[in-house]
Amino acid sequence: MSVVDELARAGGTALYLQRNYDVLRRVVADSLRRRGLLLEPLREAVSRHSWVRKLLWRALPREEGVGLHGAFLYVPPGLRIQAPLTFCFVVSEAEQLVHNIVVVDEGSEVLMTSACASTERGEAHKGYTEVYLRRGARLNYVMIHSWMRETRVTAKTGVEVGEGGSFTQFYTCLKSPSTLTSDSRALLERRATALLSTLYVASPGSSTTISSTLILAGEGSRGEVLARAVAVRGAALRLPTRIEARAPGSRGHIECRGLQLSPDSRIETAPILCSLHGGSQLTHEAAIGKISEEELYYLMSRGFTEEEATSLLVRGFLETGIKGLPKVMRPQVEAVLSILARKAVG
Amino acid sequence: MALLELRNLHVAVAGRRVVKGINLEIERGELHILMGPNGSGKSTLLKAIMGIPGYTVVEGEIMFEGRDMRDLKPHERARMGIAMAYQSTRPIGVTLSRLIRELCRLYGTSPADVSGLGLEELLNRELHKGFSGGESKRVELALTILQRPKLALLDEPDSGVDLESIRVVGKAINRLVERGAAVLLVTHTGIVAEYLRRVDEAHVMIDGRIVASGELPHLLREVRAKGYSGLAGGGANERS
Repeated sequence: MSVVDELARAGGTALYLQRNYDVLRRVVADSLRRRGLLLEPLREAVSRHSWVRKLLWRALPREEGVGLHGAFLYVPPGLRIQAPLTFCFVVSEAEQLVHNIVVVDEGSEVLMTSACASTERGEAHKGYTEVYLRRGARLNYVMIHSWMRETRVTAKTGVEVGEGGSFTQFYTCLKSPSTLTSDSRALLERRATALLSTLYVASPGSSTTISSTLILAGEGSRGEVLARAVAVRGAALRLPTRIEARAPGSRGHIECRGLQLSPDSRIETAPILCSLHGGSQLTHEAAIGKISEEELYYLMSRGFTEEEATSLLVRGFLETGIKGLPKVMRPQVEAVLSILARKAVG
Repeated sequence: MALLELRNLHVAVAGRRVVKGINLEIERGELHILMGPNGSGKSTLLKAIMGIPGYTVVEGEIMFEGRDMRDLKPHERARMGIAMAYQSTRPIGVTLSRLIRELCRLYGTSPADVSGLGLEELLNRELHKGFSGGESKRVELALTILQRPKLALLDEPDSGVDLESIRVVGKAINRLVERGAAVLLVTHTGIVAEYLRRVDEAHVMIDGRIVASGELPHLLREVRAKGYSGLAGGGANERS
């Protein structure tokens, strides 16, 4: 048994590691296995459990040509797991297509992290993740990815949040690829809540589109979309966001901020609010700007070089997007933000 | 050699001469108070010493430890030992706790150095965003202390704050002086001086010039008796 396996078992958690199409690690702590937690390759899960098949492409539009190469996680009712369940997907040759399904049953509470990465020979990663939260279930999903510049990345996440459930998603990229398209959408039932948060620094010359959509389908559902995006030399970033209210008493808010560190960068925000019911309340705020000279000189007069001051301000800018992040993940995400802030001025 | 020496200093802002021929020497560990009416050039003088862009030295010299500061950027001046507590500032997009951590790393100081200044509630907030006047003043002084400066430039730390906050401001200034910093303190009213253990010299600045220098009690009496306008005709650097 490897150190990684031991840590996962001792920490009362689970780990799934897939390189290209090979599952290299699949570890579930005995305490979780005994209580009925399932973590298996999706292909196995579909063949073993007929109900899993019915979930395929329910939360996402069907994509042709995507097989069952990914993970299936089932968290039984009433389970509260503080330590993160971790998923790692690495593409090290040609193209990797991944399809994951996560089901969190009634009243359970889970923290899930995904670490996706590529090596130099990884040409493309396409990841499709469907999440089903049943009544009162809570899932915090933290995605920290790191891509080689040459890798083309497509990531789609579809979420159904059952009555009174809660979904929060934090997405950040330690190294952003030259081309990335990400699309997250969540459908909220009665009194469900969701937060989709993106913290992104687009690398020089890259082209990125990060879309976020919330459908407030149930009465009293509430959702928020947060985005903090930084564009450096020649980077082009699009941040389309949409909240659609279909039920009375639903509330939604979009807060989208972009920071341009270079005059030849480009950021486009497109917040759309759509209310199909008079009893809902939707708001948005969006702002794009550069670092103000006043802030820069203030920090320089405290002894920071221009690069250090810029990095501090970039970090501060990104940090405003981590509200609601689980405490246990804060050190990791803060470390990522520090690296991103340094890189942004590097 | 004086720690700070200003020789016939003229400073322009947006092409207009605001500071007009200042001569001033501050020795290590000395506390100087600079008083004067609004618009007399006090803040401009401090910002010029700090090297803030837009505050242009058009004539004269700023010497710090015998070195001409003219070509040095703000961060180079800060690292030589000059720190400034601003009178007012817009929000800065960094949390107070992060800035404290970074300053401690840069200057080898500790958050304990600013204990008792009532910062706890502000640590996780963006610097100066929604801060009250008193909170901003206390934070500015705390950050200045954490820079362990040889010379602290304090721009009206007692303006627009309540008496309790002025007491804390006085305490912070005393802490700076105890640690060996020289201080150039700009104040409208001189109220904060009641909380200071020592003031070495005071100056009155009017229309870009120092028109009187001497002991603080004497100058305060003069200002109260004649008003700043009454001192305006006294001539540059007149000794009381």
